[in-house]
Amino acid sequence: MRSNQRLWSWLLLAMVLLSALGLVAEKKKKSKDRANAAAMQMDEQKRAIHVLNRFTFGPRQGDIQRVESIGIDKWFEQQLYPEKINDSALDARLAPLRTLKMKTDELVRNFPPPQVIKAVENGRASIPRDSQEKAIYQAALDRQRQKQEAKQEAAEAQNNPDANANDSGKPRRNGRELEDRMYASLNADSLMSEPPDQRFKDLMKMPPDDMRAVARSLNQQERDRMFEGLTPQQKETLQALVNPQSVVQGELTQAKLLRAIYSERQLDEVMTDFWMNHFNVFINKGPDRYMLTSYERDVIRPHALGKFKDLLVATAKSPAMLFYLDNWQSIGPNSDQARFGGQRPGRGRLRRGPFGMIVYDPPKPRQEQTAQQKAKRPSGLNENYAREVMELHTLGVDGGYTQKDVTELAKVLTGWSIEKPQQGGEFKFDERRHEPGKKKVLGKEFKEGGEGEGVKALDMLAHHPATAHFISKKLAMRFVSDDPPESLVQRMAKTFRDKDGDIREVLRTMYDSPEFWAPEAYRAKVKTPLEFVVSAVRASGADVANPQPLVNQLQKLGMPLYGMQPPTGYSMRADAWVNSAALLNRMNFGLALAGGKLPGIQWNPTVDQNQPPGDAAGALANFETALLDGDVSKQTHATILNQLNDPQAAMRNNVPAAQGTNFRLIAGLLLGSPEFQRR
Amino acid sequence: MAITRRAFLKGGAVALVGTAAVPSFLTRAVYGSTAPITGKKRLVVLFQRGAADGLNIVVPHGEQAYYGMRPTIAIPRPSSSQLSAIDLDGFFGLHPSMEAFKPLWDQGHLAIIHAAGSPDDTRSHFDAQDFMESGTPGLKSTEDGWLNRAMQAGDPKQHSPFGAVALSTALPRSLAGKFPAVAISNINDFGVGGRNPNAAPISNTFEAMYAQSVDSVLHGTGQETFEAVKMLKSADPARYTPAPGANYPRGRFGDSLRQLAQLLKADLGVEVAFADIGGWDHHVNEGNTQGQLANLLREFSQSIAAFWNDLGDLGENTVLVSMSEFGRTARQNGTGGTDHGHANVMFVVGGPVRGGKVYGRWPGLEQSQLYQGRDLALTTDFRQVLGEMVYHHLGNRDLATVFPGFQNSPNRFLRILG
Repeated sequence: MRSNQRLWSWLLLAMVLLSALGLVAEKKKKSKDRANAAAMQMDEQKRAIHVLNRFTFGPRQGDIQRVESIGIDKWFEQQLYPEKINDSALDARLAPLRTLKMKTDELVRNFPPPQVIKAVENGRASIPRDSQEKAIYQAALDRQRQKQEAKQEAAEAQNNPDANANDSGKPRRNGRELEDRMYASLNADSLMSEPPDQRFKDLMKMPPDDMRAVARSLNQQERDRMFEGLTPQQKETLQALVNPQSVVQGELTQAKLLRAIYSERQLDEVMTDFWMNHFNVFINKGPDRYMLTSYERDVIRPHALGKFKDLLVATAKSPAMLFYLDNWQSIGPNSDQARFGGQRPGRGRLRRGPFGMIVYDPPKPRQEQTAQQKAKRPSGLNENYAREVMELHTLGVDGGYTQKDVTELAKVLTGWSIEKPQQGGEFKFDERRHEPGKKKVLGKEFKEGGEGEGVKALDMLAHHPATAHFISKKLAMRFVSDDPPESLVQRMAKTFRDKDGDIREVLRTMYDSPEFWAPEAYRAKVKTPLEFVVSAVRASGADVANPQPLVNQLQKLGMPLYGMQPPTGYSMRADAWVNSAALLNRMNFGLALAGGKLPGIQWNPTVDQNQPPGDAAGALANFETALLDGDVSKQTHATILNQLNDPQAAMRNNVPAAQGTNFRLIAGLLLGSPEFQRR
Repeated sequence: MAITRRAFLKGGAVALVGTAAVPSFLTRAVYGSTAPITGKKRLVVLFQRGAADGLNIVVPHGEQAYYGMRPTIAIPRPSSSQLSAIDLDGFFGLHPSMEAFKPLWDQGHLAIIHAAGSPDDTRSHFDAQDFMESGTPGLKSTEDGWLNRAMQAGDPKQHSPFGAVALSTALPRSLAGKFPAVAISNINDFGVGGRNPNAAPISNTFEAMYAQSVDSVLHGTGQETFEAVKMLKSADPARYTPAPGANYPRGRFGDSLRQLAQLLKADLGVEVAFADIGGWDHHVNEGNTQGQLANLLREFSQSIAAFWNDLGDLGENTVLVSMSEFGRTARQNGTGGTDHGHANVMFVVGGPVRGGKVYGRWPGLEQSQLYQGRDLALTTDFRQVLGEMVYHHLGNRDLATVFPGFQNSPNRFLRILG
C-alpha cells in the first residue's frame, strides 16, 4: 500500500515536471513561430506601427521607437497590466474634473436636475448649506420660477387674445433684452480684469438673471479668461449656476478624450471604450446622464481586461443599464406588486375570544387590482433588457434563443431594480416585483430563487459557446478587420471557453495568431470618428488644455460621445462611417486642427531645425514621417507637393514667399488624406 | 420657376466632363442617352419626434367620447369661430392653427391616415422611434434604416450623390445603411475650407488625393463627395430664393424645408430626403386651440405649405409623408397634457396623392374600442403606408427587403397614390 502510494506520487511529480517542460517548450515554440511568421509578414517597424494602431488610439511621435526598444511582445504584455503602468501625467490633467470621483447620488445632489429643484420647491427636499451649492440651487429655483412665469404669461395671453392683438408687451421685452446684453458685456469686461478671488466673489453676488446674461455674452476665449485662476470647484460652480447638468456631462466627455489622448494605459482605454460601446448606455435618457460617470468608472473599467462574466453581471446590476433598458420597471405578472399594487400583506391578529380562548384573526385578504388600476402604472413584464442581453451582449442575434426565452428570462430578472433612480440610487432587488415560480431559459430550468435566479441565468449566458464566439468575433472586428477570418475567431473563442471568459487571455490568443500579423491586416481598419480625432491629436502632439472643441467635433462627425441612442452601440465597420458629409468634416477637422482654429488646443506644426527653409519636399517628407510614419502613397505625396509648388496656389493661400512653406497647410492636408483615415 | 435638368447640364455639368469625377447619370444625360434619368420622383420623409397628439391634430369632432375624455384640451366642433376645428369631412377636422393645410386639402393634394402607426406596444420614445426608422418594429438588431433600404435596389452609381439627403448634422437612423446618403445641416457649409476664399485649391488638392487613391472604399466615397460638392457649387442652390407665396416660418424645420426646396429646384438628383421636428411630448399644459401644441402645429403646417408652394411644378412628382413614433392617451391627464399612447395620424402631401380624404378604418373612442383601455387603437400599420410610397412612387418592388418580416403586398395598400 505504502510503496504504492509513493510510486503514485513520484509518477505524479514526473508528470507535472514533464508537462511543465512541455509548456515551456510550447511557449518557446510559439514565440519562435510568431517571429518566423512575422519575419515573413511584416518587418519590425511595421509590426510596431501595427500594434500601436491596434492597441492604442494611434501612435504619438517617438512611440514607434519606444515600442521597438522595449520589444514589441514585451510592450504588449505591459499593456495587458495597466495597473502597473504609471499614469501620473494623465491623473494631473484629470484632477480638476471633480465629478469623476463623485458617486451618482452626490452628482445629483451637487448638480441638481429639474426634478430635484421641483422637489425643493414643493418642500420635499431641502437646499444644501454650503454657500456654493446653495447658490447653484437658488439659481436653478430662480430659473424654474421664470419659466413658470413665462408659461403663465403665455396662458394668460391665450385666454385673452385681445390683449395679445396689439402686442403691447413685446417691444418692451425686446428693448429690455438689448439693454441686458449691453450691461452683460460691460459687466463681463470689468469682471475679467479683476483678480480671480474677487472675480468669483462678484460673480456669486450677481443676481442669477445677470449672471446668465453674462454667461451668454461670452465667447470661448472670453470664457477661458473668465475662468482663469479659479479653482476647479469655483469653475464648476459658475458653470452650474447656468446649467448644473452640463457640468456632469461636460466633465465626463472631456475626461474620455483626455484619457484617450494622454493615458499611458492605452490598451485599457481602448478596451474600456470597446466595452462601453458593447454595453452601450445612452447619456440623454433621463437620469442616465448622472449614472454614466459611475458606470464607466465602477462597472466597465475594473473589468475591461478581466472575466467576461464579472463584466456582464456588473452591467446587469448597474443602475445605468437597468434604467436604459427599462428592467428596473419590469414587474412579474403574478408578483405581489402586479396583483395587489401597493397593498402589503397583513399580519393577522391573536385575540382572546369567548371562554378565554385565544383566537387567530387572519389578515384581511388583499384586493386584486382591476385591469384599470393595472393600466395606470407599470404592472407587467418589460422584455427590453432580457432581449438585448441575449441579442447584443452575449449570444448574438443568431445565438439560438427564441421569443419564449426572452419572456422567460425577463421573468427571471424581475425585481432587479433601482432604489430611487432620479436621486442617483443604487441597485436593489425588489422581492415584491419578482415573478414567482419556475422558469425555463434556453432549455435550462431555474427554480424559484429570487435574485439568485438572475445571477445563475447570466452565468449561463456568459459561459454559452455562442457568447464565446460572438464576443471573440467582435473583438477581432475591433482589432483585426471588419470581416475577421473565421479561423482566428474560432481560436479566440476556444480560449474564451477554456479560460473562463478571461478577456486578457483572449487578447493574447489573438496577438499570437498569424491572422493578426497578416499583411492584409495592416492599416485595414477605417478609423471611427473618435479614433480619427484622437489619433490626429496624438500624432500632432498638440496640447489640449480644453477638450470641449474636440467633443463638439465628434458631434459634427456623427459620433457624439455616450450619444448613441439605440443599444447596438456604434458600428465598428467602415461602411457606417464613410459617407460624404463625414469625409468633408474629417478634412475640415484636419485643416482646423493644423490651422490652430480649435480654441484651447495648441499646435504649431514645425519641422526639424536642420530643414533648409523653403524646401517644400523636405518639409512634406518630415510631416509624412511625423503624422503617418511615412506610410503615404506616391499619389498623395505628389498631389500635396503640387499644391505647395504652385505659386498661384501659394499666392491664393496668402503665404508670402519669405515665410516659406506653409506647414499648417501640409499638416492639414495630410490629416485629411485617405491614408490618415485608416489605422 | 425651377430650372430644368437640361439647363443645368448646359450651364454647369458639361464643364465637368473630361474630369474623372462625373456621375454616371449625368454623363448619360449629357451625351443624350435615352435611358431614363433616375431622381425624377422624390419622397420626402418628415418625422415628428416626441409623439405628437394625433387626436388634437386631426380631430374626430364627430366622436362624442372625444369631448368627454378631454374636458379642457379638446378642440371645439367646427363653427364660425376661429377657435374651432376646421371641418374636413363632417367627422374629422384640422386643428385651427393648421389652416395652411386647408388649401392643400381642398386641392386634393393632402391625404390623412388616421389610427396609423407602429404595432409594437412600447411606449418608450426611444425604442419607438428606433423601430419606426429601422422599419422593423420589435427588432432592435436591424442596423440600417428603411429609407436607406428603399434606395438599395439596383446600382448605386445610377443615382446622384444627392440621391438620399438628410437635412441634419448626423445621418438619421432612417437613412443609415449601405446606400451613400448625405447629411447636410447647412448647404452653405457643405464643402472644404468653409467660407475661406482660399478654399478652392485646398478642395482641389483633397479631391485629387482621393481620386488617385488606391483605397477602394475611400476612393469611391471621396469621388462621390467631391461630385456632390461640385454639383452643389455649380448648381448654386443659394440662387433659388423661395417662390412668391412660399413663406417659411422661422425655426429649424422651416429652414430645413427651405434648403431642401433649394436642392430640389437646383435639380441635384435628390430622390429621398429626410427632415425632423421635435418638441411634441406634451405631458403638461398642452393647450387646446392655442398653446404649446397649437404653436408647434402652426410651424409644422406653415413650413410644409411653404415648401409645397415653393416647389411649383416640381410638386407633381414629389410626395411628403409624415410620422411620429406613437400617439398620446385618449384622455387628458391630470396636468393638462396627455401621456404616451399608441396609434397616431400620418399626413401624405404631393402631386400623385389622391387627397381630400381621411384613409384608414376609424376604430372609435368608446371605452371598449380603446387599445388597452387608454389609447387610440391601431388600424393601419405605418409600413403599409410607406410601402405604397416605396412601391409606387420610388418604384422599388422589393418590399421584403425594405420592410423585412412584414406582409406588405400591393393589394393591401390603401391606394393613397393614384
